[in-house]
Amino acid sequence: MKVRAPAESDFTSRLRSPAVAARVGVWLGVCFGVCFVTGLISHYGQAASQPVPFPTSPFWGYRLSQGLHVTSGIAAIPLLLVKLWTVYPLLFRPIPRQVRALALDLLEKGSIAVLVSAAIFQLVTGLANSTQWYPWSFSFRSTHYAMAWVVIGALVVHIAVKLPVIRDVLGGDIDETAHDRPEATEEGDLSRRGLVRTALFGSTLAVLATAGATVPWLRKVSVLGVTTGDGPGGVPINRTLTEAGIEEAAVGESFRLTVTYGDAEVVLSRDDLAAMTQHVVELPIACVEGWSASGTWGGVRMRDLLALVEAPTGRDVQVRSLQTRYAFGTSLLWSNFADDERTLLALELDGEPLSLDHGYPCRVIAPNRPGVRQTKWVERLEVL
Amino acid sequence: MAAGVYGALMLLDDAFAALFSVAIWLAGGVLLHDFVLGPLAVAAGRLTPRLPSATRAPVVVAVIVLTAITLLAIPVLGRFGVSPGNPTLLDRNYWAGWSGIVALLAIGVILASVVRARRGHGVDPGR
Repeated sequence: MKVRAPAESDFTSRLRSPAVAARVGVWLGVCFGVCFVTGLISHYGQAASQPVPFPTSPFWGYRLSQGLHVTSGIAAIPLLLVKLWTVYPLLFRPIPRQVRALALDLLEKGSIAVLVSAAIFQLVTGLANSTQWYPWSFSFRSTHYAMAWVVIGALVVHIAVKLPVIRDVLGGDIDETAHDRPEATEEGDLSRRGLVRTALFGSTLAVLATAGATVPWLRKVSVLGVTTGDGPGGVPINRTLTEAGIEEAAVGESFRLTVTYGDAEVVLSRDDLAAMTQHVVELPIACVEGWSASGTWGGVRMRDLLALVEAPTGRDVQVRSLQTRYAFGTSLLWSNFADDERTLLALELDGEPLSLDHGYPCRVIAPNRPGVRQTKWVERLEVL
Repeated sequence: MAAGVYGALMLLDDAFAALFSVAIWLAGGVLLHDFVLGPLAVAAGRLTPRLPSATRAPVVVAVIVLTAITLLAIPVLGRFGVSPGNPTLLDRNYWAGWSGIVALLAIGVILASVVRARRGHGVDPGR
């Protein structure tokens, strides 16, 4: 038996049609669009410099945007798989011999190669990252961000090139064959509508199975969610004390918090902090990896701490943590956050002192902030 | 100066390692799809005529959905990112959850097949 590579004409299913590809493509485009915008928001929220201040309200803003980001990425996976199936025969399209046609063909194939490889890259690395898995040698944050622009660029080119076909195919009935390959005539086990609906069903199921990590009322349902939301005080933990490279003794009796403004300096023990006026806020921890949970935090208002060194309002605060590993050990608390009355240096969660892994003795908790910026094990506040 | 060159080489080495890793992941995904998933889908499509005709559509739907769900469940099923000192993340029995999804889809296939057989799909081959 002679084995040869498949040819485009070998694929005879009428399901492998632009009519299906375009319809699944619309949903895929929506997912990638939402992913891109929420991704930009998240990237900006973690940026060292924010020319336009990140807002402090709504307090649930980042929780929503990052939840949407991971969810839309997951929703895209079944859609992308079906889409790739419908256009798979094009991989085996014969290469033209004429130089001009060949050049155009290579250009188009090249742009598709970029789109597909970058899209798969984003979804796979994003998915792995959301489960705390980093089986690669590059920096996730910068690479995922850069690749996002590659995907969006390639996507715009793709849509521009295919626009006439898309318009035609979406404007007509799904079963029309005007743009089909001539060989694509064989009836499948599903209708075209059935395949599109299956793709959407797959996406919906994927979302329901995972979104519970950030949507509280889906917690019981999301059997593949990265967290059940359980943890000390009802909030899960991303990095433990040990992982952050902190010795337990450093957060014990000898711990001191230093607050400075210019030459003014105040040193406080945990007991000193506990003796100040306490406030209680209910704010979420919204992890950059996508999970989130709301907690009831008790502690000293950041504004009150800054008043101890007579710092005026409108000043940024450099927050330093005891952690020796991971980025954001030093993080800037912008003035609008520092002055917001909901921003606390928390000592307690759910009525109990913070657990060691939650940032004992004190951590920052502020509204509308990525989890990486809710600094734990705070040892120094420098008013700038 | 030698130290500077040495440092620069190390940095480039890091940069190359990172770039190489990106290239692997960029190529790997497409290659896995084009040369593993694609052919597998073709092969699976050839098997459906062996099924009773009333079950074909439900089975195809279930296989498509389960394939997608299973692929995206690989990281949690493998619990690769778990940290021994932190029981608050990846804290579910994911195989049990996945089995639950399989069971749900299986029930769906059975119910849909029964309905389709009643409606006469078992009589009309190929649809």
